[in-house]
Amino acid sequence: MPVSPLEPWPDTVRWQPVSRDLVWVELIRWGAGFAIVLAPLAVLWAVFPIWPLGLAFGVVLALAVWRFWSIVRAVRAWGYAERDHDLLVRHGLVVRRLSIVPYARMQFVVVSAGPLERLFDLATVQLHTAAAASDARVPGLRPAEASRLRDRLTALGQDRAEGL
Amino acid sequence: MVTVEEPRKRLHPLSPLLHGAKALVVIVVALSWQTLRQVGLGWFALMVLVLVLGAIVMSVVSWAYTGYHVVGRELRIYEGLLWRRTRAIPLERLQAVEVVRPLLAQLSGLAELRLEVVGGGKTEAPLAYLSVADAVALRDRLLALAGSSAAVPPVAAPSPVPPGLHAVANRDLVVSQLLTPNALTLPIGAAFVVAQFAFEPSWSFIGVASTVTALAGVLLQPVRRVLNDWNFRLSRDESALRLRAGLTETRAQTVPVDRVQGVTATWPLLWRGQGWLRLTLDVAGVAGQDGGNAQTDRLLPVGTAPVAETIVGAVLPGVSLAGLTFSPPPPRTRWFHPLARPVLGVALTERVIASREGLVTRTVMMVPYARIQSVRVVQGPLQRLLGVATVYADTARGPSAAARDRDLAEAYELAAELARRGREARLATPDRAPGAGPAGPVAPAQWRPTAESPF
Repeated sequence: MPVSPLEPWPDTVRWQPVSRDLVWVELIRWGAGFAIVLAPLAVLWAVFPIWPLGLAFGVVLALAVWRFWSIVRAVRAWGYAERDHDLLVRHGLVVRRLSIVPYARMQFVVVSAGPLERLFDLATVQLHTAAAASDARVPGLRPAEASRLRDRLTALGQDRAEGL
Repeated sequence: MVTVEEPRKRLHPLSPLLHGAKALVVIVVALSWQTLRQVGLGWFALMVLVLVLGAIVMSVVSWAYTGYHVVGRELRIYEGLLWRRTRAIPLERLQAVEVVRPLLAQLSGLAELRLEVVGGGKTEAPLAYLSVADAVALRDRLLALAGSSAAVPPVAAPSPVPPGLHAVANRDLVVSQLLTPNALTLPIGAAFVVAQFAFEPSWSFIGVASTVTALAGVLLQPVRRVLNDWNFRLSRDESALRLRAGLTETRAQTVPVDRVQGVTATWPLLWRGQGWLRLTLDVAGVAGQDGGNAQTDRLLPVGTAPVAETIVGAVLPGVSLAGLTFSPPPPRTRWFHPLARPVLGVALTERVIASREGLVTRTVMMVPYARIQSVRVVQGPLQRLLGVATVYADTARGPSAAARDRDLAEAYELAAELARRGREARLATPDRAPGAGPAGPVAPAQWRPTAESPF
């Protein structure tokens, strides 16, 4: 039976995608990051035309192009699913991760939205457990969906006791 | 029922003196040899005296404004003259209690009470110092309150001395610490110093001093282990583990059994000749202490396999180290671990997941299903080439039990199985629900017959 790393248990779990607008947020975020690295490199290369600088510029540019090209797929790789007893979150292209966090283990939920995310009307929900290693973060949710998820998580966490 | 709030209690009146004595050491070290050489002995003594007196006065003031009392199921601690601080510690969140007696406290019959709660990076609320009788009474009271929503008799009868599980012979402890890489560097270092003197008599004092200091630094860890684990005694009553050890500073730690997040067994290479191993206890909240030095969580500093079996059986009922059958990752992952592949493996028993790692220093980590916080499946790019993935079972303490490089289909099956077993284990032994009071209705789930529990 072939198992796709992004679609475990296809028949029992209905994965929710995150909003496609996250692509823009990620593009701007990575674009700014690459610009900060590329601009000084370009200036330096213009002033001192030696080949290592040109090589560095080329490598970073290639990385940037690859990253931009893969952002769409990376955003499509994000997904979450609410099951009866636990929250599933999957993400990652290069390193693929799937987290299963039981509601009963929830310590607290954080809903956050940075300026970029607010610009595109998005929010991030993060579920924290007592384990530092658990990572259940869902970015790119519409605010209404984010608060619905938050309320559902806290409600479910409350009747399922204490988390340790 | 109206409960009269009990009066605040003070710490023991001798505590400021003990704090002052502790400050003495710090002050002398801070002033250093440099100052002594510059100002001469008389002035130095005077400076130390003034500073120590200052420290004692500060301690007296802070003592006068420190108080604690138990309100309902909370311990409240008040402190501070200018910056008032009140800490309320909900006792149902208590993970472990420790009675610590440093050398001076032993001489004066005092003890420090430390409470471990989750979330605090450091030990929350050390009550320093109480008289030993007070500390023990308060500990028992706190533990009784902490456990009173679990199945513990309401009136905690003065428990008889619990049967001892194991005592570690001090000779074994010393030998085991001599068989560590740190201790083995000692003869090499000593030979180096002697050789330097023999061939190069002009070697400066600074050189010798720094070599000796470096050696002392290397030796510090085994020496501290010996001091900390001296006279190690472990016992268990129906609800808690009691550990007691220490030479200059004795520690008596009490850990409720249902607060154990996991047990790790380690077989260091140099101990193989003796067939020894070491057990450590994972308790949430103790992690951040001593810079993660793992000093306070020793379950068995050194012991043979049968002894370890007994202890593991007492802490995680129904689990036997020898009875674990580990299944290694598929043969195609041998490129990742050319030598260690047969050693790696994961085993599922009725109550725990165990994972084995390490070719040279072998470790087996056991995590009860009921304590799993989350399950993760992670697949890196190389793993994707081979169609394998790693499954992690996270606990509230730092490390996660990891099943490395399992076949992808098996990894997802394992993850689903862990999530299912974790849920069932939680239902079978409900956590101490904060909502259910001491006399609250017993959840029906609690009465479900649990075939796996031998109690």
